[in-house]
Amino acid sequence: MTPLPDSLLEAVASAAVREGLVDAVFTRLRTPIGRLLVVQGENGIVRVGFEEEPEDHVLAEVAGHLGSRIVASDSELALTRDTLEAYFEGEGDPHALPVDLALVAAPFRRAVLEALHDDILAGQVVTYGALAERAGNPRAYRAAATACARNPIPIVVPCHRVLPSSGGIGRYGGGPERKRALLELEGSLPA
Amino acid sequence: MTTVVLPPFWSLVEAHGDELLAHARRLTGEQHAEDVVQDALLRALRAYPRLRHADHLRAWLYRVTTTAAIDAHRARRRELPTDDVPAVPTHDSYDEGAFEALIAPLPDGARTALRLRFVEDLDYEAVADRLDISAAAARQRVSSAVRTLRERLPA
Repeated sequence: MTPLPDSLLEAVASAAVREGLVDAVFTRLRTPIGRLLVVQGENGIVRVGFEEEPEDHVLAEVAGHLGSRIVASDSELALTRDTLEAYFEGEGDPHALPVDLALVAAPFRRAVLEALHDDILAGQVVTYGALAERAGNPRAYRAAATACARNPIPIVVPCHRVLPSSGGIGRYGGGPERKRALLELEGSLPA
Repeated sequence: MTTVVLPPFWSLVEAHGDELLAHARRLTGEQHAEDVVQDALLRALRAYPRLRHADHLRAWLYRVTTTAAIDAHRARRRELPTDDVPAVPTHDSYDEGAFEALIAPLPDGARTALRLRFVEDLDYEAVADRLDISAAAARQRVSSAVRTLRERLPA
């Protein structure tokens, strides 16, 4: 059977957005660290998925929080796409994009990710301990590490900029190779 | 109150979009099929949060597409210019073959009622006159035929 033409799908998604019928919009983006699934709600990006995460699972997770009216559209997320594409070409910081931490229930983990998103810009790095301190509890570095490990919005909320105080690159939800690639892109790969 | 967990809408579109387009082609012909599917998907999205269960979503999408095809067919009939009627009826505004194929499985009485209502575009009073029944019975016959069509699909 013929698949639906892209033009038809884009037309449906744009009309749905105009009519206020959608809970979230997603787009698929090719990048040097693999395909990303970016899901955005009314208040900002809620989820970024790496390519090994099953799309249905990622979208179902978002549906559980924002609602099931989820559509795909490249044109509705053009600004998000342009910003991320520029970032992967070495220009700018996706930090400028609004985020919505609706998928993060625990208040301290949310505070950690907010501090990370607001304060740690491209080119900077921070330790888990220092991040915990920024979030209001200097001793909660383990909880800060958990918050980073479960970050629903990697890259835009830059958990790749958090490094262990013991040295080295540390862990990363998307794998250490991706962390290394992102830090290299930002010119802050530790020696 | 039970919470219904519905799959992300676009997962349905990506899983069933191609067969809905094929279904729309059978109902309405190549020329209008994409418009019908576009309309059907928007209708489905409007109704989606009101669904009370997540069963039979594929069959539900087929029914929404069928309804959109019937409504589009009626709208096109209404758009036909009423003055300056051509001597030979022009058929390029709708596909009579597709409509007949759609209603073919129904009994004679139901087919006649649907043709009077949607092809000749008569109101229920006029349908009633032609069938020599009451207007209420005419409305009943048409709506029951449409319901039967919706229930039959997907074939």
